[in-house]
Amino acid sequence: MVEIVNRLRLDPHHQLKVKGGRGAVQIDVEAKFSAPWTLIFGPSGSGKSSLIRAVCGLVPKLNVEFLRYQDKAWVEIQGPSRSTPSHQRELAYTPQDTAIFPHLNVRENIEFSVKNHGGKDPDGFVEAAIELFSLGPLLKRMPRELSGGERQGVSLARAFAVPHAKLMLLDEPFNGIGRTMRDALLPRMRDRLLSLGVPAISVSHDVEEALLLEAEVLRLDEGKIVASGPAFDVLDEERRQVRKALDL
Amino acid sequence: MFCLLLIATPLAMWIASGHSLLRRIVQALVALPLVLPPTVLGYYLLVGMGPATGFGRFLVSIFGHPLAFTFWGLLVGSILYSLPFAVQPLVVGFAGVDRAVVETASVLGASPLTVFRRIIFPLSKSSFLTAAVLSFAHTVGEFGVVLMIGGDIPGSTRTLSISIFDQVQEMNYSAANRTAIALVGFSFLVLLALYGRSAVGRRNELG
Repeated sequence: MVEIVNRLRLDPHHQLKVKGGRGAVQIDVEAKFSAPWTLIFGPSGSGKSSLIRAVCGLVPKLNVEFLRYQDKAWVEIQGPSRSTPSHQRELAYTPQDTAIFPHLNVRENIEFSVKNHGGKDPDGFVEAAIELFSLGPLLKRMPRELSGGERQGVSLARAFAVPHAKLMLLDEPFNGIGRTMRDALLPRMRDRLLSLGVPAISVSHDVEEALLLEAEVLRLDEGKIVASGPAFDVLDEERRQVRKALDL
Repeated sequence: MFCLLLIATPLAMWIASGHSLLRRIVQALVALPLVLPPTVLGYYLLVGMGPATGFGRFLVSIFGHPLAFTFWGLLVGSILYSLPFAVQPLVVGFAGVDRAVVETASVLGASPLTVFRRIIFPLSKSSFLTAAVLSFAHTVGEFGVVLMIGGDIPGSTRTLSISIFDQVQEMNYSAANRTAIALVGFSFLVLLALYGRSAVGRRNELG
């Protein structure tokens, strides 16, 4: 098991263990998180998305053995057939291709999760998410009237509006979002997660993203963790390449 | 028609949710009445529900009488016969709903029933409309199965299409004419109502 501890600590720990697979995708990951933001790096086909989808309960053959919080399991599996269904896992999630609900306008998309939890939002998760991603002017728009970056923003806001989620899972959340926008959003998103005490696990290809967040990094290869630690150390090689490219 | 959609919806969901051989076999079985002459289905139902078979005797023990030549027998036959007209459009509709959208909805806390109500149904509304119109049209118009299994008992299993047949046989053209016109008018109104609703729905969606 690897342990992820960050200067910006979240207390208490989150723990997860995922094991299993189908065909070429075999995953065996066990990790402990106290960082507000953990990035999963790895070559394509290394199981990054499969890991995220398994935690969500979307991969039937891939078992999450446990997700623990304060040493209390909120998803724990005894046998292969017994698994907590996705909708009871208390997760916030942004899938790879945004998967905005095409028949709902921006506000209805963001309110989706609150409506599933009784429709009341006393802690203002919806309004906070709208403000965080500056979506106020777009609330009445339908998804087909949005640009790619705006759709990505709605997908992120929809995840941040999940009331009292235990874990935030982001699969390449900055696809289609411009660099300036991303640089502005990242610290705000991290601060919001930190104040909520919710850790995020995010799949990324982008070294800058990791360095900007001072994130902890898990490097995945063929479904196993091959390196972990602060972005600065783990991504040394990539960092050197970036610096070379930037001519620093 | 309502019973029909109630059965067809879960069946279509199941067929659309995968590619296993069993699903294809069931899909083919459901579609069988499209190909067979209605009298074949009617004949098997008549024999199957009669006291000659084990299943027929089982039904008799539950209902206290054979199902053939009763309203309930007619309903079963009618549902089986019209099932492909409801199932096929629904399968197409459900398969057209983006999987990632359904998955995301459930991770964001929607139970399977909520996913159906808030995501799948609104996104496949037009398929439900098609299924409703087709199966309604087919149920009103069917003849062969009804005659085979229901017989022609006034007030119980005599359907409009059969009563027209009877009236013509009795050379009672004016009665046949009345029934036929009633059937044409009723069917037209139902279809108009369904299509009218969908046009309004589409306008709202744009606005």
